Amino acid sequence: MSMFVRRLLLLLPWRRRAAERDMQDELRSIAGMAAPGELGNLTLAAEDARAQWGWIRLEQTVQDVRYAIRTLAKAPAFTLAAVLSLAIGIGANTALFTLIDTVMWKLLPVADAEHLLTLEQQTPLGNSTGFTYQQYEIFRDSGAGLDLAASGYARVDVNIDGRDEPTLDAHLVTGRYFPVLGLHPAAGRLLDETDDRVVMGHPFAVLGYTYWQRRFAGDRAVVGRMMTIAGQPFTIVGVAPAEFFGTEVGVSPGVYLPVKMQPALIPSNGTLLENPIVYSTWLRLIGRLQPGATVPQAQTRLNALAGTAAEWRMRNKFSGQFEDARLVVHSAAAGLSDLRRQFSGPLFVLLGVSGLVLLIACANVGHLLLARAATRRSEFGLRLALGATRARVMRQVLVEGLVLACAGAAAGAILAYWAAPALVAYASAGQRSIVLNLSPDLRVLGFATAVAIAAGLLFASAPALRAAHADRSTAGRLHLGGGGRSHGDRGPGRTLVVIQVALSAVLLVAAGQFVRSLQNLYRHESSIDLDRVIVVGLEPRGSGRRSNANAAMLDRTYRDLLARVASLPGVRSASLGRSSPLGPITLGFPIVRPAGGDPVRVSGSIVYPHYFETIGIPIVKGRDFTEDDLRAGAPRAVLVNEAFVREILGGREPLGTGHGATSNNGRGWRGPQNTMAPAEPVNIVGVVKDSRFPGLRESPPPMVYQTFLQANTGFGQMVLHVRVSADASGIVPAITDLARAIDREVPMADVHTLTDEVNVALARERLVAALAGIFGLVALALISVGLYGLMAFTVSRRTGEIGIRVALGATRSSVRWLVGRQALGIVGAGLAIGIPAAWIAGRLTARQLASLLYDVTSTDPAAMAVSAVVLVAVAACASLLPAQRAVRIDPAVALRNE
Amino acid sequence: MEPLYGVLDMLVLRTLLFGPQHGYAIAKSLRDGSDAAITIEFGSLYPALKRLELKGWIASKWETSEHNRRAKVYRLTPDGRKKLNQERSEWAGFVQAVARIMNPAEE
Repeated sequence: MSMFVRRLLLLLPWRRRAAERDMQDELRSIAGMAAPGELGNLTLAAEDARAQWGWIRLEQTVQDVRYAIRTLAKAPAFTLAAVLSLAIGIGANTALFTLIDTVMWKLLPVADAEHLLTLEQQTPLGNSTGFTYQQYEIFRDSGAGLDLAASGYARVDVNIDGRDEPTLDAHLVTGRYFPVLGLHPAAGRLLDETDDRVVMGHPFAVLGYTYWQRRFAGDRAVVGRMMTIAGQPFTIVGVAPAEFFGTEVGVSPGVYLPVKMQPALIPSNGTLLENPIVYSTWLRLIGRLQPGATVPQAQTRLNALAGTAAEWRMRNKFSGQFEDARLVVHSAAAGLSDLRRQFSGPLFVLLGVSGLVLLIACANVGHLLLARAATRRSEFGLRLALGATRARVMRQVLVEGLVLACAGAAAGAILAYWAAPALVAYASAGQRSIVLNLSPDLRVLGFATAVAIAAGLLFASAPALRAAHADRSTAGRLHLGGGGRSHGDRGPGRTLVVIQVALSAVLLVAAGQFVRSLQNLYRHESSIDLDRVIVVGLEPRGSGRRSNANAAMLDRTYRDLLARVASLPGVRSASLGRSSPLGPITLGFPIVRPAGGDPVRVSGSIVYPHYFETIGIPIVKGRDFTEDDLRAGAPRAVLVNEAFVREILGGREPLGTGHGATSNNGRGWRGPQNTMAPAEPVNIVGVVKDSRFPGLRESPPPMVYQTFLQANTGFGQMVLHVRVSADASGIVPAITDLARAIDREVPMADVHTLTDEVNVALARERLVAALAGIFGLVALALISVGLYGLMAFTVSRRTGEIGIRVALGATRSSVRWLVGRQALGIVGAGLAIGIPAAWIAGRLTARQLASLLYDVTSTDPAAMAVSAVVLVAVAACASLLPAQRAVRIDPAVALRNE
Repeated sequence: MEPLYGVLDMLVLRTLLFGPQHGYAIAKSLRDGSDAAITIEFGSLYPALKRLELKGWIASKWETSEHNRRAKVYRLTPDGRKKLNQERSEWAGFVQAVARIMNPAEE
């Protein structure tokens, strides 16, 4: 038993009492043996002996904490202001840190996560893609030192016991998926190599844990039951472990299915597993390194394989896009994530901004504590006079600071607990919901604690130093007007407010840039009524396998639907496009320029008549497609955009039959072609305006628009666009019903407006701008409190002086100016530091911010000017009341007090 | 003369080396053993006993003496014995070092 434990036991009251009794007995017995007076003061000896059991340090600290709580409780307004400031600062930081922790660092709950890695292909343009099944096979069999697994995503219809259920997110996994991750089932078994042999031969399903809990209430008897998935009967064979949310951060699959079942689950032009013509890169690869192998080694080996394997390129069958693709290998310890790619940068930027908020809050609390310390000088003086050491007084003030910080951190943690999911909801508005495991872990708790302690020490250090230098001679002396009079007293408070202004300037400049760049992104010709355009993705039966045989049938389905939708009351125009204006461009054609030379790749799309009218892009030359162009066997006609005219045609007159019809002599250009159809000249009938939709940062590439039947592609899915005249919501059900009525084999995507799409596309920017804006407002609120406090303090301190001035004939405006001048001086000093600091910070972070800013530089002069004006205005407002009070000072009263 | 800081512990442990004693006996033997050259106030000794007990170097027990008097008797624990040996060699080293400085000529 160590001394520590013995002392700990002596903290128990009954043990302490027994020890006390024992000691008294012993001392009595000893006193009985000794001569009177021989042993000296026995009471003192007992006192010193008792101290040996004690926890002097701890007891003193407990005393300090108690005392701090008592004094803070006696100043509720001060305490509330301080705790609130800190709660906002610490809460914001903790919420962001929780998100960063979840998205970036939480390890996959799998065995040996640090040996997992993920592969992706990076095109020269910087896009990264997944892999085709054929590529996966090559890498799997390459012997590159990797145990490789793949997974693909599908959204599937579910039917249990004859009843339709909500659609589910499904992961299509290869046999090695669960073994590579080293997972153990929560019930039944997981999928393995035996479920990865025959195409369409393994109708087995593993349920995701949360789905199992939600739908089946965790019933283990579910193993062996049947469920119908995408029209196919599947047997449930097991349940994935509880802590496993899938390998993709932010997505929680409801069900895991064998990849060999793909033809039933992801309709396509044949099967993605066997048809070498299909080039959909639908798989994510995840692998486990062999012991001793490193990530760079694996990357080099795989790249060598990818670069030299002629077979890889041949089976890839999409020359032009992947020829120059590079294989990149990452650690997959924390899972695969689009979310991480999309949000890691913004989250760190926001953590920086919220760090500024916390600093401002600390300065505010420090300032409040200083003001209190000034009024408590006599108390500190008294304590020093009574024999407290300076260290003890300092410690007490620091403890007070830490108590405040802890209260702030506790409130902040509650705020963060509530705010982190709210942030996720805001960021995922309009998207497939993002599922994150936001439960705070040790990292988050450690972060919050560290932040609280650092904040407490930071803001309490100045007051603590001052308290320690309180003068013994001031003991008990009363200070009217709350504080000392020496000039130096103004120093720390003023400095803190100047620092606050400087920090706010940096923060406001940053916030201004984010808000302005969001505004720039939203600026678009038709953006005023984007919410009047309803968008519905359509995948009629057979559209995933479009061929010459079923194209006419699909076209008929589409035109039929268009006619019905157009006849609905309230519909201004309706059309179909291959994708929405914000959707990915999925078609491309090699095209020979008029000047000749090698073919270049031009992006393309398929549209029906009135498409441009519906989404709000004007046709600047020529005409739209008409019903005539839709006929089978109509002359080949295309529309192009201005970028096409500029870049491909070199500015030549685009319209008419001049280029197209007579192009075979080599002077004109040859239109859309691919391996299936010979090159054939086409006729440009119209030119549409280049349109940068909000959220699309790049100016649009040259585009060719074709009609459905004339386009040669394996994709038959289209997106319905409907422009409605009035408020969109009333008509949505009717449109949804019509769209649902078409014969389809996959679940229908949700119905939304173009505004929703813009919001999704701008999720990052909106999140950053909204949070930075909120932080900016919080900073302004904090700073007005700080400035107001300082000005009020100054006015009360200078009451006598102002009284004399008034007595000597100072006018009201000159008194007002006296106060205003000081406030402006502080803001001026703050700006003199803050604006250059913002400029330097902007320069230093220019590269990191580039992807978040649009049409704004990170050292935007307008944002700086606006921040300066706003801060000056805040200073003016904050000094208004104190100035008013100064004006009302009665010289007679003021001088009498003096 | 008051003993040096830390020496008191060593002296108490040494006193108990010959057998268990109660508090007053320890005080007396310390005074007698040093021919009153070192005065150890009971006010210093008693807290030291409590400290050594907490550290686990001595242990105490109530016993009834031959005069039918109850007294709390302290004895050395094995840990205390180890500690005493260590302190003793450290003390010897210290004394030698001081002696070398004080009487350099004798070297």
